[in-house]
Amino acid sequence: MTRIAVIDNHGQFTHLERRTLRDLGVDVDIVDNTTPPADIDADGLVLSGGPDMDRIGNCPAYLDLDVPVFGVCLGMQILAAELDGEVGAGDYGGYADVDVEILDSEDPLIGSLAPETRVWASHADEVKRVPEGFARTATSDVCDVEAMSDPDRDRYGVQWHPEVAHTERGEEVFENFIDVCE
Amino acid sequence: MVDVEPFIEDAVAEIEAEIGDADAVIALSGGVDSSVAAALAYRAIGDRLTPVYVDTGLMRKGETEQIRETFSYMDSLRIVEAQDRFLDSLAGITDPEGKRHAIGEQFIREFEQEARSANAEYLVQGTIYPDRIESEGNIKSHHNVGGLPEAVDFEGIVEPVRDLYKDEVRTVARELELGAVTEERMPFPGPGLAIRVLGEATREKVAVAREACHVVEEETEAHDPWQAFAAVVGKATGVKGDNRVHGWVVSVRSVESRDGMTARAQELPWETLQRIQSRITGENDNVARVVYDVTHKPPATIEYE
Repeated sequence: MTRIAVIDNHGQFTHLERRTLRDLGVDVDIVDNTTPPADIDADGLVLSGGPDMDRIGNCPAYLDLDVPVFGVCLGMQILAAELDGEVGAGDYGGYADVDVEILDSEDPLIGSLAPETRVWASHADEVKRVPEGFARTATSDVCDVEAMSDPDRDRYGVQWHPEVAHTERGEEVFENFIDVCE
Repeated sequence: MVDVEPFIEDAVAEIEAEIGDADAVIALSGGVDSSVAAALAYRAIGDRLTPVYVDTGLMRKGETEQIRETFSYMDSLRIVEAQDRFLDSLAGITDPEGKRHAIGEQFIREFEQEARSANAEYLVQGTIYPDRIESEGNIKSHHNVGGLPEAVDFEGIVEPVRDLYKDEVRTVARELELGAVTEERMPFPGPGLAIRVLGEATREKVAVAREACHVVEEETEAHDPWQAFAAVVGKATGVKGDNRVHGWVVSVRSVESRDGMTARAQELPWETLQRIQSRITGENDNVARVVYDVTHKPPATIEYE
């Protein structure tokens, strides 16, 4: 069975990421972000959201593991900050419902949602520049980089919360990630 | 989603195995989580379980009577009338966490006494999966997790619904035939009406919140909200029968949600909002105005404190 580790960055919705994956029938565990990288045994990682870049534990080291990585909210910002992208304060906080425009309908993670999707978000910071090798795959009126992908290295991120009940077609994003991991 | 029948069988067997021939207590809050945990434990060990319900004076209208009725099949049920002790312990406290703390402390004092007189070696709790994660996240302190075990030296703690989500607990409640009231009852916070009044929880404000919550629950029923309630949020000027009043401001909230983690403010019809406004200001002399909260979660939380 496909095994996915949800890395807990102290986000409120971490347990909903576990729940969505559990309901999709994969083997899933919530893993403390202080776990040594060598102890992580999974076919894919979800980096959860969280309140603070200072509490991301060993997340930077997990990016060197040879498995697909999917960052949610702060998890995506970790990808940008640790690779050579840039994260900063947004002009307009993204809270509750946001209409997101999908820019790449071929993207393995979110392409199936094209042309647009209604999501639920909760963030003040955002990705200002995507890292080398990444493409911006979604955008909205309140946040320029709503999603980014590097399919060659299997590194993906979304700024919104696909795990919450109010996001439309959030489960589909996790299904797509499971396909990538298999 | 939880597979209900095997879940109940396994949970009952697990409780039997853990508690053996010993005695246990559980605190009933009136909510679905502790009700389900109690019903499962009662199936497992019968009257060796003592369910304790503490009336804090901060409960919803009619709640105590409902508990008495729903759990009347348990001969060991104990109802503690502690209304005055709780309201006295809240005097002068304005900070939300301070209020939660005072209620938690008083609750432990009341419960400890019952646990000792029942000679309980085990504590059964209705902790659900998100409680375990949220109390780490520091958004708000839950008084049903922690606190109690330090005060009373139990042999063990049994948490039969620890891996379930709220909606899953409800499906189990339906199977256990706990009655529509418990199954479909809206979520209600552990500290009760104390956190539906901003600032000090005085008897007057708590009474307004109780009556207003009752009106909101009745009037929104047809719109099937996940949660609907009223909170006393401040004071403002009004005019009633040519007299100026400086009365309470009541904020009405009605939201749609699956699990309480995110919520959408409900688009209630104007007539419904007007009926709510008219009943709350009409039935309570000391309410000057009623407002409707249109904020989703995030950025707001569902409750006010």
